[in-house]
Amino acid sequence: MRLQDPPKEVSRPIRVGILANPASGRDIRRVISKASVFPTAEKCNMIQRLMGALTVCGVDEAWMMPDKGGIATVIKRFGQTPEGKRLLPVQFTDTDIMEIPEDTRLSVRAMIAAGIRAIIVLGGDGTHRLVAEECGEIPMATLSTGTNNSFPELREATLSGLAAGLVATERLNLDDVTRREKRLLVEVNGETRGMALVDACISADMFVAAKAVWQVEQLRELYVTFASSEAIGLSSIASLVNPVGRDEDHGLGVQMDPEATQKVMAPIAPGLFAKLGIQRWDELQLGSSWAPTIDRGVIALDGEREIEFRAVDNVRLSMDRLGPRVIDVSKALGAAAKQGIMLSDSNE
Amino acid sequence: MARELTFKDAINEALAQEMARDETVIAMGEDNVGGMGAEGEIDAWGGVLGVTKGLHAQVGDRIMDTPITESAFIGAAAGAAACGMRPVAELMFIDFMGVCFDQIFNQAAKFKYMFGGKAETPLVVRTMIGAGLRAASQHSQCLYPVFTHIPGLKVVIPSNPYDAKGLMIQSIRDNDPVIFCEHKSLYGLKGDVPEGSYAIPFNEANVVREGGDVTVVAMGMMVHKAMEAASALAKEGIQCEVIDPRTTSPLDLETIIESVENTGRLVVVDESNPRCSMAADISAQVTEQAFGSLRGPVKMVTAPHCPPPFSDVLEDLYIPSPEKIAEAVRALK
Amino acid sequence: MNLNEAQLLQAYRKMRQIRAFEDRVHDEFATGEIPGFVHLYAGEEASAVGFCMHLNDEDRIASTHRGHGHCIAKGVEIKGMMSEIYGRRNGTCAGKGGSMHIADLEKGMMGANGIVGAGPPLICGAGLAAKFRKNGGVAIAFVGDGGSNQGTTLESLNLATVWNLPCIFVAENNGYAESTGSKWSVSCENIADRAAAFGMPGVVVDGHDFFAVYEVAGEAIKRAREGGGPTLIECKLNRYYGHFEGDAQTYRGVDEVKKVKESKDCLMLFSKRVTEQGLLTQAQLDAIDKEVAAEIEASVAHAKSSAKPTSADLMTDVYVSYP
Repeated sequence: MRLQDPPKEVSRPIRVGILANPASGRDIRRVISKASVFPTAEKCNMIQRLMGALTVCGVDEAWMMPDKGGIATVIKRFGQTPEGKRLLPVQFTDTDIMEIPEDTRLSVRAMIAAGIRAIIVLGGDGTHRLVAEECGEIPMATLSTGTNNSFPELREATLSGLAAGLVATERLNLDDVTRREKRLLVEVNGETRGMALVDACISADMFVAAKAVWQVEQLRELYVTFASSEAIGLSSIASLVNPVGRDEDHGLGVQMDPEATQKVMAPIAPGLFAKLGIQRWDELQLGSSWAPTIDRGVIALDGEREIEFRAVDNVRLSMDRLGPRVIDVSKALGAAAKQGIMLSDSNE
Repeated sequence: MARELTFKDAINEALAQEMARDETVIAMGEDNVGGMGAEGEIDAWGGVLGVTKGLHAQVGDRIMDTPITESAFIGAAAGAAACGMRPVAELMFIDFMGVCFDQIFNQAAKFKYMFGGKAETPLVVRTMIGAGLRAASQHSQCLYPVFTHIPGLKVVIPSNPYDAKGLMIQSIRDNDPVIFCEHKSLYGLKGDVPEGSYAIPFNEANVVREGGDVTVVAMGMMVHKAMEAASALAKEGIQCEVIDPRTTSPLDLETIIESVENTGRLVVVDESNPRCSMAADISAQVTEQAFGSLRGPVKMVTAPHCPPPFSDVLEDLYIPSPEKIAEAVRALK
Repeated sequence: MNLNEAQLLQAYRKMRQIRAFEDRVHDEFATGEIPGFVHLYAGEEASAVGFCMHLNDEDRIASTHRGHGHCIAKGVEIKGMMSEIYGRRNGTCAGKGGSMHIADLEKGMMGANGIVGAGPPLICGAGLAAKFRKNGGVAIAFVGDGGSNQGTTLESLNLATVWNLPCIFVAENNGYAESTGSKWSVSCENIADRAAAFGMPGVVVDGHDFFAVYEVAGEAIKRAREGGGPTLIECKLNRYYGHFEGDAQTYRGVDEVKKVKESKDCLMLFSKRVTEQGLLTQAQLDAIDKEVAAEIEASVAHAKSSAKPTSADLMTDVYVSYP
């Protein structure tokens, strides 16, 4: 079952990337606060559901990252019709999987080289950040499978797949249905060391260790591109003092101090509230750059400790709107309805 | 007048007394309390046949229900024993050894040796043995020879309430892993049992009946069959000396050989299957060590080499009977 | 999470001891002097040390056939271990256990184990004992990806939750059960996923990163000590040698181990982190390397010159008492 071909001629094959992180939703927060586990089996189900939507749109091929087991194995095993025909042909990139973040980067690069027209990401803020570093102009559909995500949406995969499929088959006007996201960049000694889509948080910690931020005593500075009052995670700290929308052309910087008299009670992880002393907050303008106020510590990007720095390091943070081009699923599906794309006068 | 207790209650009393005496004694098994996680009473069962009934009220959480997970809880008992506890774990039927044997024979039995002597594993595994309840092939076996085969294990087979209590107390106090075999047909048997605490040392066979003509060695339920045969034979003028070894590991071979030196004849009665049985083992050892005293071949009376059957007709044929024992004795005279 | 200088030095020393011990046993095995089956832990050091740094002698661990690393991390004496591997009378187990059965109950080490998946039930018992003795002890079972598929392990996960035991199950997933890939033999991508089915937290941690393991271990252990119940933690890591010594490893990819050593080696990552952070100096690390090398050298010399058991030892220690 497929939609009628798009009115204008589209060059084929039409390829869509699917990047699913098998490790998301399994970090230390399971122990700390009973955070949910997002089973691999459900990630596989989501992929198969969204593949159904891509098929309906007339996408020719999905491109995926191979992984050490689960997801790739399940998709190879089950992504077929009873007659053994693949619902949607799947290609795996030839990435040499080392179970490190670099796997994701290399896979996205390979997908782009293969000519994908859109990429659907299943994971948490961390996975989306890695893809965003690589995907450039390729429109991205986001799906949350992590622990506490501010950036990707919690949404039925079928609909995200449909939106991505409609974009990839060029049925929708890209500028109408996508949004350029803000981002925070971290430079250490003149070299870009990382990017955050939602928040960069500086703590007086010593080690990256288990990555997820869950202890708050050491937190000193928080910078956010946006902060929704419904957010869970570090950005909730900012949202509770001064919410910022995704579309607004500024972010927020929050200085924290355990001694400060003004406190905020923030849900910094599922099941985990923290009372933090807030010293001050300021709007951050697009294009601005600044240095941290403490001279040694750890920088967490989108909730994961990533960068250790010392007094001798020259650290600069900056914010702009050169992040990924994200498909707004609501807008895309609204436009599809308005254009009558899902209507047909045939019985086939 | 001495007090009478059933075999079952004698074991219960031994557990209660030891658990009261020593805080490190704990008990565990499927339905040992009974009723955990259910709407009704706690201690609803007290063991599948009620052996541990009432202990929960006396010792609280030191007696525990387990999920049906023999590998995990028999192993846990072995682990706890190596960490200073004295667990009494119930393997409901000895037939279930198949799902947890590794934890008994590769782990508990070998810790001391493998670790160069620096381990003690005071574990008791209580387990039901024996045919007679029409429980068919997977709930009726007498697999104690398998455990007797394993160095590091001790194997106890009481045949009456007095022994059951004294041997259980010894099993709990013993510092090696003990397999305590309870014949399910004996649970209702009554006998004199002192109220106080007492331990019967291992490796001390009990001469149940004295006699000068034929030595009959039997254990567990078979002691009673042998005694029946002996009574019948006495009327024919044949005097049997009936010996209950009480433990098969260690085995009090000395008492058996002493008797054989006197009688010159030996019948070994064993409810297990014949090959590699206690009957075969005792026969071989006596033949090796006291051949000169024997005036005829050693006779073995065992179950046949088939699984325990279900139908009453077949099961009655399967279990060694007093008639078969008497027949074996007569054949020697 | 912070570690002081003494703790950092201890972590490095333990990991280096394990690496040097295993590398040396590998070399010595090749000479034919070491009898029996030997399974080496090199590459996986951050896991054993990351957990055992949080433990005291009252806490128990149970290990696997790949147990040398856990022994060293738990404080078993290296000299005795080496003698044991050589089958000497002064070995940890008097020459009766060998590589696969090194145990030291006084140190809380309940044994390497020749039976895959045998440790978790024992650790349930150790956890139960700690609970009854109210000593705040925890018990940790290390299993591999192979052991994670054993019924004993799965039954233990269930029992640990049902009894709310202070137990932690560490699945050291090195990618291979003997020669069989875990991506084929484990039914889900992450062994830790199975935790959800048993009502306990499941965490995946990079087993090459000491700091990541240390932090996760610390929280799980704290939770267990406080009565919070069991946790399943999967360490994703790699083994540098074969399943056993003598394994030609033809099932592994070209340069597979080389790539891991170059990019993720736990000692390399640790050294880089602490020196770049200015927490320890290279000179401090070098000094430890030197001391450890001498310690291992001495342990081999000691083992080789030690007496083997005699016929009088054959029948001792079967029982505590047996007539």
